[in-house]
Amino acid sequence: MEEEPAPLVARGLTKSYRVGHLRQTLRPALVDLDLEVRPGEILGYVGPNGSGKTTTLKLLTGLLRPDRGEARVFGVPVGDRASRRRLGYLPEHPYLYDYLTPAEYLDYAGRLFGLPSADRRRRVEDLLALVGLERSAHTPMRRFSKGMVQRAGLAQALVNSPDLLLLDEPMSGLDPLGRRLVRNLILEQRRAGRTVLFSTHILSDAETLCDRVAVLRGGRLVSVGALGEILRPGVAHLEVLTSGIRPDALSVEGVVRGEAVGERTRLEVEERALGRVVGAVEAGGGRVLAVQPVRQSLEDYFFEEMGGRGDGGNPWGEG
Amino acid sequence: MTLARALVLVVLIAPLVPWSQAGIDQRVGSFRPQEEALYLWSGEQVRRLFPGFENLAADVYWLRTVQYFGGERLFARQKRFELLRPLVEITTSLDPRLEIAYRYGAVFLSEPSPSGAGRPREGIAILRTGAQRNPASWRLRQELGFFHFLYLGDARGAAAVLTQAAEIPGAAFWLRTLAADLLKQGGDPQASRRMWREMYEQAEEGVLKENARLQLQILDAEDRADALGKAVVRFEEGHGRRPARLSELVVSGTWRGPVVDPAGFVFHYDETTGHVSVPRESPLWRPARRRNE
Amino acid sequence: MGRGLSRLVAVAANTFRETVRERVLYNLVVFAVLMTLSGLLLGQLSIRQDEKILIDIGLAAMDVFGTLIAIFIGVGLVSKEIERRSLYPLLAKPLSREEFFLGKFVGLVFTLFVNVTAMTLGLYAVLLATGRGIEFRLLSAVYPIFLGLVVVVAFAMLFSTVTSSVLASVCTVGVVVAGRFSDVIRNMREVLPGAPGWLIDALYAVVPNFQNFDFKDRVAYGDAMPPDVLGWVTLYATAYCAIVLLLGLASFRGRDFQ
Repeated sequence: MEEEPAPLVARGLTKSYRVGHLRQTLRPALVDLDLEVRPGEILGYVGPNGSGKTTTLKLLTGLLRPDRGEARVFGVPVGDRASRRRLGYLPEHPYLYDYLTPAEYLDYAGRLFGLPSADRRRRVEDLLALVGLERSAHTPMRRFSKGMVQRAGLAQALVNSPDLLLLDEPMSGLDPLGRRLVRNLILEQRRAGRTVLFSTHILSDAETLCDRVAVLRGGRLVSVGALGEILRPGVAHLEVLTSGIRPDALSVEGVVRGEAVGERTRLEVEERALGRVVGAVEAGGGRVLAVQPVRQSLEDYFFEEMGGRGDGGNPWGEG
Repeated sequence: MTLARALVLVVLIAPLVPWSQAGIDQRVGSFRPQEEALYLWSGEQVRRLFPGFENLAADVYWLRTVQYFGGERLFARQKRFELLRPLVEITTSLDPRLEIAYRYGAVFLSEPSPSGAGRPREGIAILRTGAQRNPASWRLRQELGFFHFLYLGDARGAAAVLTQAAEIPGAAFWLRTLAADLLKQGGDPQASRRMWREMYEQAEEGVLKENARLQLQILDAEDRADALGKAVVRFEEGHGRRPARLSELVVSGTWRGPVVDPAGFVFHYDETTGHVSVPRESPLWRPARRRNE
Repeated sequence: MGRGLSRLVAVAANTFRETVRERVLYNLVVFAVLMTLSGLLLGQLSIRQDEKILIDIGLAAMDVFGTLIAIFIGVGLVSKEIERRSLYPLLAKPLSREEFFLGKFVGLVFTLFVNVTAMTLGLYAVLLATGRGIEFRLLSAVYPIFLGLVVVVAFAMLFSTVTSSVLASVCTVGVVVAGRFSDVIRNMREVLPGAPGWLIDALYAVVPNFQNFDFKDRVAYGDAMPPDVLGWVTLYATAYCAIVLLLGLASFRGRDFQ
C-alpha cells in the first residue's frame, strides 16, 4: 500500500532578490527553509513583514524560482505544472479581473482546471454560496468592496477542491463578519480532511486556528511546532478583575500593572502574590470579581523572540 | 520553452525572413511610390502639418525623392516622373535651402525621356525658384545658366544668367568670360562640354556626379559619331562608294580606333545616308537635340 | 496536449472578452463616423477620385486604428497583468506560462481580426451606399494589413515581458516607425555612400519591414497584383512572428514575479 506523500515538503529552500539598479546587491528573502506540512493540519505561517512569508508561498506556487533547494507538493516538484493540480492559492491583496463578475471569473478558473461545463456551473454556484457572494454573482468585480474581492479570491482558490490550500494573509481587509467566515471556512477545510497553510501577522488568528505554527524572521525559520511546544508552559501571571477600587490606590507587592476598564479595574498580578492582593483589595473596600490565569501568548513570544535577538531591538527584523 | 530551446528555434526560423523578403522584393520591386501622400497635399499644407519639424520633414521627403529614382536604377528606362516635381516642391518648400533638391529635380525633369521627364522648362523653373530663394548661391544660378544653354539651346538667356552668377561672391572667375563667349558666338561646341565638366567637378559623389559624367560621355559619343561621319565621307571620296559597314573604315585605314561608343555599343550606321549615330540601345543615346548655332 | 490547447483557448477567449469589455471595439464607432462623413463630403470630386479617396481613408484608418490597438492593448496584455499582479492566481493553477502567453496573443489577434473584418464591411457598406460596387480586390490590401498588425502584437508582447508598460509601448512604437521607413534604411547606400554596407544590411534584415504589408496604393490604383506575392508576405509575417514570440516566451518563462 503506497503511502500518500506529504502535502508539502521543503528542503533548503532559498531565494534572494536583486536590489538596486546600477550596483545590484542580493537581498536574501528566504534562507534554507526546511519545512514539512502534515496531512490534514492547519499550519500558521507567522512572522513580521519582510520575513519571507509571501516569498515562500510564491516559491511553492511557481511564481518564483528558488536559487537553491527544492519543494514538493504531494511528492511532485514545485516547478512542475502537475504540482498545482491539487493546490489552491490566495495571494495577498488579490487582484481579480475587475471587468468580470465573480461567476465569470470562477468559471474561467474552472476551465483552467479542465472541469467540464456542467460541473463548472454547479461548482461556481456552490462556491459563491460558500463565500456569501450569491447575490453579487453577476456584478462586475470593479464594484466590489475590498472584503468582497477577498472572498471572491477565496472562492477561486477553492475551485478545484484543493487538497492543499495556501493562503497569504486571508483575513486582510475583512470586517469581523468576513473574518468569521474565513475562519469557519478554514476549519471546514480541515474537517473535510484537507491541509491548510496560511500566513498571517495577526497572531490571535494563528493562536485560535492553527494546529502548528511556523515562525519566520529575517527569512529564516525560527521555530515550528504546536503552540504548546513553542510557548512557555505554565502560567505567566493572573488577571484579577476588581470593582470599587482605583488602580493607583493599591500599593501592594506583586501587582505588575493595573488599568481601569470602565468602572472596573483590571490588575495583572504575579501568581504567588494572589492571596495578598485579594486581601488588599477587600481591605480597601473593593470586591474581586474574577481571577483568570494568563499564559504566554504568541504575541508575547513574538515580542520576546523578535525583540531580543541581537537585531537592535527591531521587531520587524530587517534582513 | 527555455531560453536555449527558443534560441535554437529562432536560429532555425531566421533564414526564412530574408528569404521571404527577397521573394517579396522580387515581385513588387524594391522601390515603391508613396502616392497616397501627394495628391492631397501641397508644399504649404505639408509645412503646416509639421510646425517645428520642417527640416526633418524635408529630409524625409528628400530621402523619398531619392528612393523614388533609386540607385542602380538611376538610368533605367521605366520610371514614372509625375511625382518628381511635387516631391521636389514639397521638399524645397519645407526646406528652401536644400540646394541639392533643386538640382536633382532640375536634372531629372530636363533630361529627355526615357531617362528623365523630358520637360526642361519645368526643370529650369525649379532651378530658378531655388536661385531666387538662395540669392547667395552662385552654384544654383550657374546651373540655371548652364541649363538654359544645355536644354533649351538659349545662348543669350544663358549668358544673361551667367553674368548675374558671376557677380555673386565665390563664383568662378571664368563665368564672365564664358558668358561673353556665349553672347559672341552663340556658344562653341566646347561650351556644353565645359559646363558639364564644371558640374562634374563640383558635384559630390553620388547621383549628380554620375549624371554629369554620363553627360560627358554622351558628348564624347556624339563627337565620335561626328568624327566617324567625317571618316565615312573621306572613305567615299577615296573609294567612290560608301562603306558597307563601319569596320571597313578600320580595315581601310580611314579610321583608327574603336567603332563603339564609350559605353561599348557599336554605332548605328545608315549606308544610304552615310549618317553615323549613337545606337538606340546605348545608355548614351539621346533624341536629337537642338544643336546651338 | 488537448487539455493544454483548451486552456490556451480559455485564456484567448477571456482576453477577447477583456478587450470587448474594455471597450476597445468602440474604435469602430469612430471609424464608422469617419467613413460616413467622408462618404458624404466627397461628393464634389469625380467618381473615380471619390472612390480612391474613400478606399484610401478606409484602409489607412484600418491600419492606424489597428496599429494603435495592437501596440497599446498588446503591451497591456502582459505588463498590466504583471504590474497589477492579476496573473498570480492564474499562474498558480495548472496553467503553463506558455499557454498563458500564447493564449493572450491569440485572443488579441482574434480581436484585431474582428476589428478589421468589421471595418472592411463598413468600408464596403459606404462604397455601396454611395453608388459604387463591391470590389474583392480590396481584400488583397486588407489581408496584409492584418498580417502587419499581428507582427506588431508579437513585438508588443515581447517588450512587455521585459520591461514596464510605458517603456514597452515606446519600444514597440519605435519598432513600428522604423519598420515603416524600412525602404529608407535600404536606400541608405545611395544617400550615404560612406556608411558600412554590412551594417545597413543587418539593420534592414532585423527591423521588420512593414512596407511589405502595405498594398494600399496598388489596390487603390487598380494595379495588378503579382499572383503569389501574398504567399510570400504571409511567410514573412509568420516567420517574423514566430521568432518574436519565441523570444517572448523564453523571456516570460524565465521571469520571477517578485
